[in-house]
Amino acid sequence: MNILQVLILGLLLGGVYSLMASGLTLLFGVMRVVNLAHAVFMILAAYIAFYLFDLAEVDPVLTIPVTMPVMFLLGVVIYLLIFPRLETSERYVEMTVLLTFALALIVEGLLTFFFTGIFRSTRPEYGTESFFVGDLFIPKGQLVALGVSLVLLIGLWAFLKVTKTGTAIRATMQNRTAAQLVGVNVRRISAISFGVGMALAGAAGSLLSYLFPFFPSRHWQWVAIMLSLIVLGGLGSLKGAVVGAVTLAIAAAFVTDILGPTWSPVTFFLALFLVLMFRPQGLYGKVVRI
Amino acid sequence: MTALLDLKEIRTGYGAGPDILHGISLTVEAGRSYCIIGPNGAGKSTLLKLVCGILKPRSGEVLSNGNSVGGLRPDQLLALGISYVPQERTVFPTMTVRENLYMGAYSVEDKDLVEERMDRVLTLFPILDERRSQIAGTLSGGEQQMVTLGRALMVDPKLMMIDEPSLGLAPQVADQIFGTIRQLSQSDTTILLVEQNAQRGLESVDWGIVLDLGAKSFEGPAEGILDDTRIRELYLGTRVSSRGEVEG
Amino acid sequence: MAETRVEPIHTLDEHEPDGAGRSGQRARRWFLLAVVILIVAVPFFRPWIGAYNYVLQLGMIILMWVTMASSWNILGGFTGYISLGHNVFFGIGGYASGLALAYLGISPFLTAPLAGLISMVLGVLIGLITLRTRGPAFIISTIALLLLTHNLVDNWELSGGAAGLSLPFPPLPVEWLKVPFYYGMALCAFGAVWMAHRISHSKFGLGLRALSQDETKAEVAGINTRLYKVSAYALSAFFIGVAGALFGYSLSYLRPTTFFEIGLAAQMVLMCIIGGRATVAGPVIGAILITTVNEFSVVQFGATALNIVVTGGILLITLLFFPLGIVGSLRESGRLPAILDWD
Repeated sequence: MNILQVLILGLLLGGVYSLMASGLTLLFGVMRVVNLAHAVFMILAAYIAFYLFDLAEVDPVLTIPVTMPVMFLLGVVIYLLIFPRLETSERYVEMTVLLTFALALIVEGLLTFFFTGIFRSTRPEYGTESFFVGDLFIPKGQLVALGVSLVLLIGLWAFLKVTKTGTAIRATMQNRTAAQLVGVNVRRISAISFGVGMALAGAAGSLLSYLFPFFPSRHWQWVAIMLSLIVLGGLGSLKGAVVGAVTLAIAAAFVTDILGPTWSPVTFFLALFLVLMFRPQGLYGKVVRI
Repeated sequence: MTALLDLKEIRTGYGAGPDILHGISLTVEAGRSYCIIGPNGAGKSTLLKLVCGILKPRSGEVLSNGNSVGGLRPDQLLALGISYVPQERTVFPTMTVRENLYMGAYSVEDKDLVEERMDRVLTLFPILDERRSQIAGTLSGGEQQMVTLGRALMVDPKLMMIDEPSLGLAPQVADQIFGTIRQLSQSDTTILLVEQNAQRGLESVDWGIVLDLGAKSFEGPAEGILDDTRIRELYLGTRVSSRGEVEG
Repeated sequence: MAETRVEPIHTLDEHEPDGAGRSGQRARRWFLLAVVILIVAVPFFRPWIGAYNYVLQLGMIILMWVTMASSWNILGGFTGYISLGHNVFFGIGGYASGLALAYLGISPFLTAPLAGLISMVLGVLIGLITLRTRGPAFIISTIALLLLTHNLVDNWELSGGAAGLSLPFPPLPVEWLKVPFYYGMALCAFGAVWMAHRISHSKFGLGLRALSQDETKAEVAGINTRLYKVSAYALSAFFIGVAGALFGYSLSYLRPTTFFEIGLAAQMVLMCIIGGRATVAGPVIGAILITTVNEFSVVQFGATALNIVVTGGILLITLLFFPLGIVGSLRESGRLPAILDWD
């Protein structure tokens, strides 16, 4: 395939990958939580989108106003039920990994039980159509996903920069102790951040529903992919999440072109592995031992 | 007259570890300035962390103006006017000096008041005024210390607790910091200072409190403390036995 | 009785109730002997056991999980490095022996120890790379490794890719088919538990525990943490590889999902956490408990996805409320019976 074409395909997907990565990295930045359940909740959102599409013919993008608030609330509730108990634990970050791992198993099991392992996908019209520009084709569905992702990412940026809560979140990400000392209620902010992160996963799930076929146990692959994106970008860095996402999306596009689609996930796993071994702080992360 | 801060028989420690403070009792009067000194491991920092809400008391009471404030969170204590400048540099590293100071006023609603205080802080620390658009993470140690002090002042605290401000700073820079603290101690703000450098610390305040092994050893006017023979015992480990002979 | 003060953990006698020192040890020895004899004797009770093959199969599975959990614990419990993808060695062992059988005709009963050795060598190589990270970075890398291997094996034509490879049946009459696998797993289980016990009592084990509490301090104290960590990683891989070889043969089929599915890693972690990390008896108790609970729920409710919900749920509750596990909590409160104190 034409190099430019591959580049375009990569860039388009980079949008929705950025959306996924930003939610996950936000959680780490604010609360030092490595959320292994992030992808399974994304798939939960995809199922919500699927049934809204299947039963009420709602366009996947239009399910976002449903999936985001639902996932936000779910995130806040889950955070408050589980995490405050850990705050005094010595091996806090390790514990969050194990806890979210357990959570991922629970949700995966429930999804499989209720929805079975059949491959699902929503099928909006733009999912299979493309624009043609000269020799190049631009899949409509992915362009839509890019557009939606950009809107949401800009919204996130504005929220963090302008609102008081957003500023408190940024402060907590930079220095949790300092934030506490200037009057930020870090527990409340953590719960809200968890909600926001999950809401972003929710939006990504809605988009995912037509971009890739999904089924419950698929989430492990997505979690590894998302982790590779944020590890490359630097844990806790939103800018890094976007850069990492676009970089790996483009890399994966080239791998798919040269070696075929079954090798695409390997790009992410290998990248994850290599970054952890040789530059664990990623591109923009602080040189802090996580 | 109820004290600004009243600690009664406080015991506390970290996590599941042993008690660091063993039944400490202390009174802090409004308007005065205090310096807590003592050897390493005496529990000085622990005491401050307890008062500012980072640690909770395991037993004993913490009262402020007669009200019990023992289990409150740091942000709640801030609302009562208790602010804390920790040992570790706690600037917001990617924010500018100005943004850092504004963050200090996070809990303040009145915008005009915030501007007023901002002016006051920048006057108190001219260097910060100069560097107000610089990214805080790129400042020197002393400048970052000033940022954290300035930030704490943005809420116009009733009680300001400062933990080892001169740690890791060059003597000249430390001088500046102590100078500012002395200025502050002459204002309405009550200062509670913890300092390893006993001499410099005591020079900046009215009253000295000596801590040892998690308990209050003795206290008195700052000027007299350094001359007190008990200090030498504490720091050098010589003990005068009941028969008046020097041991250890 | 000379008592040596051993930092940073308990002395060997400290937690036994007063006066029970010597007799506690004796009770423990008899208990363990009885258990070993029982395990070895079960297949001989053929005339009295109804569903013979089922019983042996269940026994084999329990012994397999005892092996896996005890091995995992060497890295996850003693050393404090949690691997959420340790079944990668299960698959490596399974495929190594399975392919040797399929293409060279050599029985896995002969190649199983070799499979364990291969797992161990790969453990050294992988460990040298991955153990450069700590904490959550390491945990993430173990997941990445598992998924990467799964993906690679899925695409490997030699092993039949994702569909897998059929293996020839063992040359035995059907009634006695399960017996050698049962004894094979029993040997693995004895081996793994014995290894854990030896490590726990050795200077090596002491070093691992120091390392798990504070790696920097351990280094400063003169412990070659790199050597210790990589050794622990390699040792933890050995019996898992052997078990994999036997298991693959017992199924007469090699398929990637059988070995590389992340649920297997989850089970190992759960068994050790619920039993008690950093103890020798903990993983054994955890393995027996979880396997029987699983078996019970499959019999009662069928093999549905609710099983992983239960696994995840138990793990969650244990992490939140009983992080020390059964053996760990009992020891902490001083109520650990001597027969279960195998450290």
